[in-house]
Amino acid sequence: MALILTDEEQALAESVRKFVADRSPLTSLRHLISSGEPYDADVWKQMTAQLGLAGLTIPEEYGGVGAGTSALSVAETELGAGLVASPLLACVLAAEVLVRSSDDAAKVEFLPRIAGGEVIATLALASRAGGHVTATDDGAGPGVTLTGSISPVLNGTDASVLLVPADTADGIGIFIVDGSAAGLTRTRLTAVDHSRSLARIQLSGTPARALAGDAVAALAAASDVANLALASESAGAMKACLDMTSEYARIRVAFGQPIGAFQAVKHRLADMEKSWELGYAALRDAARAGDADPGRFSVAASVARVLLAGAYADAAVDTVQLHGGIGFTWEHDAHLYYKNGLSNKVLLGGPGDQLDRLADSLGI
Amino acid sequence: MNDDFRARARAWLAANAPRRDSGGDDGESGQATLADQKAFQAKLYDAGFAGITWPKEYGGQGLTGIEQIAWSQESRDYDLPNGAFFIGISMPGNTLVELGTEEQKKRYLPKMLRGEEIWCQLFSEPGAGSDVASLQTSAVRDGDSWVLNGQKVWTSGAQFSDFGAILARTDPTKPKHSGISMFIVNMHAPGVTVRPLKVATGHSPFNEVFFDNVRIPADALVGEENKGWDAAVVMLRHERIAIGMMGSSRTSPLGFESLRDLAAGLGRTSDQGVRRDLAELYARGRAMQLFATLLREETQAGRLPGARGSVAKLAGSELGRFAGSVAADVLGDQLAAFDSDEMYAVTTSIIAAPGSAIAGGTSEIQRNIIGERVLGLAKDPGVDRATPFNQLRVGTQRQN
Repeated sequence: MALILTDEEQALAESVRKFVADRSPLTSLRHLISSGEPYDADVWKQMTAQLGLAGLTIPEEYGGVGAGTSALSVAETELGAGLVASPLLACVLAAEVLVRSSDDAAKVEFLPRIAGGEVIATLALASRAGGHVTATDDGAGPGVTLTGSISPVLNGTDASVLLVPADTADGIGIFIVDGSAAGLTRTRLTAVDHSRSLARIQLSGTPARALAGDAVAALAAASDVANLALASESAGAMKACLDMTSEYARIRVAFGQPIGAFQAVKHRLADMEKSWELGYAALRDAARAGDADPGRFSVAASVARVLLAGAYADAAVDTVQLHGGIGFTWEHDAHLYYKNGLSNKVLLGGPGDQLDRLADSLGI
Repeated sequence: MNDDFRARARAWLAANAPRRDSGGDDGESGQATLADQKAFQAKLYDAGFAGITWPKEYGGQGLTGIEQIAWSQESRDYDLPNGAFFIGISMPGNTLVELGTEEQKKRYLPKMLRGEEIWCQLFSEPGAGSDVASLQTSAVRDGDSWVLNGQKVWTSGAQFSDFGAILARTDPTKPKHSGISMFIVNMHAPGVTVRPLKVATGHSPFNEVFFDNVRIPADALVGEENKGWDAAVVMLRHERIAIGMMGSSRTSPLGFESLRDLAAGLGRTSDQGVRRDLAELYARGRAMQLFATLLREETQAGRLPGARGSVAKLAGSELGRFAGSVAADVLGDQLAAFDSDEMYAVTTSIIAAPGSAIAGGTSEIQRNIIGERVLGLAKDPGVDRATPFNQLRVGTQRQN
C-alpha cells in the first residue's frame, strides 16, 4: 500500500489538471462571480460525462467507476488547485450516504444518475450551530414530514435531490427530499468562498421518504469522505499558493535582490513547503486507507483534514502577505485562495470539531 | 520478498531485541554498556540486518530501500542497544559508500557494520556552527602525512569512537568553501583529547575534541583535496535524512501514547484544551512518520529526496518542541517540581526539546536550504563567498 501515486493515478491527475487548465482556469471563476451562476453547467457536464468524476466512489453496479477514495483524492486535489466551482463534493457526499444505506430502491433510482451528472444531489450536513431538522410520522402514509432549518448546505439551491438528516423518535434518520417538495424553501447564501454554492434549507411539513439503513454509520462515513475531499482540495490549493508565491519571490526584486533571498520571506515559504509536505503525506495515507484499510480511514482522514485545513488557511494568508499590496487587490488571485482557505477550514466541521472527534477515536 | 524480509525482521526482533520503555529523550545513549552494544551490533550483522542497502562486498546486505523501510517500521518499538553505531553508519558510513576509495570501503565499512569500530563526525567548531565552512582546524601536508591542529565541538560519541570523519582547512588562501578537505582520523592517535560537554539537561551527550599535531596518513583523505565541502554536503544530507527519519518512538516520554497516558493518570483528559492538544500531537507525529515513508518510497522509485531531507529535519524539531509544550500543558504545576523517575524523564525531555532545533543544523539553516534548494529562491547574499579564507572574519574572533 504505497503512498506514492500509481501510474494510473498519475494519469488521472494529469488529465484533470489539463482539464482544469483548458476548461476552468481562474478566469472562469471570475466570470461566475460576475454572472452569479453557482457553477458552469458545461464544465460540470464534462466533469461527469467525460471524466466520470461524480462516479469515482460509486460502485460499477450502480453506474459508477468504482475507483475509490484514492482516485477521488487525486481528482479533488487538482480541482482544488484550480478552485473549480462545481457540485462535485455535494454529489460525492450524497452518493456516499446512499451507497452506505441498505435502501436498494434508492440506490438504483439515484446513484446511476448522480454518477452520470444528470442529477445533482446533496447531503444537508452542518454543525449543531447550523440548525437541525425534526421528522414527524403522522401514520397517514409511507412517508414522513420534515420541519426545521439547516445551513450552510452544499449546492442546496442547485440540487434536485436532498438527503436530510433529521431527529426521529428512534434517533437520527436520513430522509430523501425532492427539490420541488412542498414546504421546502431554499435560499442561496452569500458564500465567503466564491467557488462554493451554499444555501439555507428550510423545511415546513415537507414530505420526505426515509432512507433505509444505519443512518449514524452512513453519516459518519460521509463525514470521513468529506474530510478526505476537503483535505484534498486544500492540498491542491495550498500547493498552488506555494508555487505562486515562490515564483513571485524568485522574480520580484527589492533592495537590489529577488525578495526570496531575504530570510523573512524565504523562511516563511520554507515553513509553507514543510506544512504542505507533511499534510500531503497524511493525505496520501488517508486516501489509501479508504480503499485498502477501511478500519483506519476515519482517523487518517481526520489527521489529513486537521493538518491541511489549518496549513492551507495559513498559507493563503501568507500568499497575500508575501505578495504585498498587489496580493490584496481584487484583480490578484490571492484573495480567491484566501477565502477558499477560510471556508475549507470550517465547512462540515472545523478544526475544533475535528480534534474533538479525533480525540474520541484515539481514546483520549 | 519484502514480506519475507519483514517477517524475518519481525521474528528476529521479537526474539533478540528489548522493547522500549520510557527513558529520557535527551540524546544520551541507553543504559547498555559499550561491550553490550558491540555484541548486539555483531548479532545484528550476523542475522543480516546491518547495512541493509549497502553493497555486499563491503559487508552490506545489497537490498533495497523497500527492505530498509520494512526494517525501520518493524524496529520502531524496540530499543535497539546499538545507539553508539547510529552516527557512524548513517553519516560517515553512508558517505564512504558514496565517496570512499575501494581501499577505504573495504577497510572500514565491514568493521563498522560488524560492531568492531565506532565512528563519530567532526564538523562543528566553536567559531563555525551554522557557518561550518568557516572552520579553522587546519591540516598541513608534511611528507607522506598530514598534521592536524584545532578544536571540534558538539561531537557525539567521541569518547568511545575509534575513528572520526573530520573537516579541516587545507588551503587558507582559497575562499572558505574551496580550501577544505575531509579526512579519516584515528581517535586513538597521539594528540587527540576528548572532553565531555555538559548541556542544559545536566547530561553530557557530546564532547569537545582537541587535535594537537595529530599525524594522519595521506590515504586518509576522503574524496579530493580541497573538495571537502562537497563531501561534507553529502554527509550533511545523510545526517538530515537520518535525523528526520529517526522520528520518535511510540513510547518516548514526549510521544503521543506516553503523554495520553500521563494525562489520563493526572486526570487531565476531561480538559478540552488538553484533549485537542493531544489529538494534534498525534496528527503531527503521524504526518512525520508518513512523510519519512513517502521520501523512502520516492527514493526507491528513483526520485532522490535531495534537500527535502531538510523538511524532515525541520519538521522533526518542531514536532519535538510542540510535544514539549503539550507535555507542559498536561503537567500543569506538576512540571515545576517532582520526586518521581517518571516525571524526571518527562521534564528532562521537555528541557531537551529545543536542542533538536540546533543539533545537526539549526532550523534556520534548514529553512535556508528548503528555500534555496527545494523552492529555488535566490541564495543568501553570502558576502564572504569569494574572499580568501585568511582575509575573513570568523566566529567571534578576527582571523588574520
